[in-house]
Amino acid sequence: MAKQYKAAGEEAWKNNVEKVNAELFIFTYGSLVVQLMRDYEDCAAVNAQLDKMGYNIGVRLADDILARTSLERCADLHATAEAVAKVGFKMFLNVVPTVVGWSADSREFSLQLDDNPLNDFCELPPRAVQDGLWYSNVLCGVVRGALEMLHMQTEVWFVRDVLRGDDASEIRVRLVRMLDEEVPAGDD
Amino acid sequence: MVVAYNIYIFDRHCECIFYTEWNRLNSPLAADAETDRSSKDLVRGNQVLTGDGGSSRSSVDGQRPLVWPTTATSTAHRVSAESPRNVAMEEEAKLVYGVVYSTRNIINKLNSKDSPQGGNPGGFMSFATNTYRLHYYEAPTGVKFVLNTDVGATSMQPVLEMIYRNIYVEYVVKNPLFRVDPKTSTPIENDYFRAVLNNYIREISSAAVPAS
Repeated sequence: MAKQYKAAGEEAWKNNVEKVNAELFIFTYGSLVVQLMRDYEDCAAVNAQLDKMGYNIGVRLADDILARTSLERCADLHATAEAVAKVGFKMFLNVVPTVVGWSADSREFSLQLDDNPLNDFCELPPRAVQDGLWYSNVLCGVVRGALEMLHMQTEVWFVRDVLRGDDASEIRVRLVRMLDEEVPAGDD
Repeated sequence: MVVAYNIYIFDRHCECIFYTEWNRLNSPLAADAETDRSSKDLVRGNQVLTGDGGSSRSSVDGQRPLVWPTTATSTAHRVSAESPRNVAMEEEAKLVYGVVYSTRNIINKLNSKDSPQGGNPGGFMSFATNTYRLHYYEAPTGVKFVLNTDVGATSMQPVLEMIYRNIYVEYVVKNPLFRVDPKTSTPIENDYFRAVLNNYIREISSAAVPAS
């Protein structure tokens, strides 16, 4: 199962995705975060904004991934985690995080990014580190938005970040509940 | 040669966000357009919009088929209580959704694959009457496509998949002006989407059907 996702991800990356210049993307994202910092001056607010922006991206991303690959519904959270890591991240960022840290009830897992492309060329000022800025928080929003479109309500947050001095970046994903499909409203 | 009659697109909130027709007799849209306005534009097939005065913008594809709903008439965004609602069309869309929803659920149940998350694990593809065949495609995100064609069409699954992957995702999902809201539905009002869809259907209708 894992192999099939890996193959799907690589094939999608090779054939189905238009690519942009990585530096352009990284610098654009960096200037976006800088502008948000200037506007809000409060790291918690910037984190929230990045998450919201990511969410808006994520709800559209789910359809995009489905359009480009022939993935079916995942049977359980394990399969979902593999798909997110090997297909989602691979297709859009060309990195494959490892899925680790499964909780006992299999409702939480971590995506460990050894190499986050958004962090290239980036150095956080000490004040940002102190105040708790998660530089790539947009990724959390993207995962949350995409999973919500696939009927999974999740909480996604950063646990560790290389820019803050940790050894690797880690995003934790927790499944809150499965969302039911909406039923058409009855006749009044 | 396949004759496509009309297509409905329902979003995950059970609302019809797009409907258009090509070869349909006694359509609730045409009847509404004739009785409502005297403007020739509207009878010819523009949207029923209040205060728009019959838009004469250059259309990307010439003779434009009728389209419904528009933000002026959609249930979610109705501007005022007096905005024209095409009730007949609404009822029809609800009926179609109900039929398709129930059929899909029955098939899922019979396959013991029903789940509260919906989806189409039972593989409901189409049903036929003696006058038309209805084809159904559901994406895992909950957006549903319903296409009615003549009885002769065997399988339009690849067509519907194409419409989803290359037309809906390209022109609707990727359009930043199309609001994806967890609570409300936005009708698709996108000239490019309509034009590409019409062209694609026209191609399908005139292409020779390969022997299956």
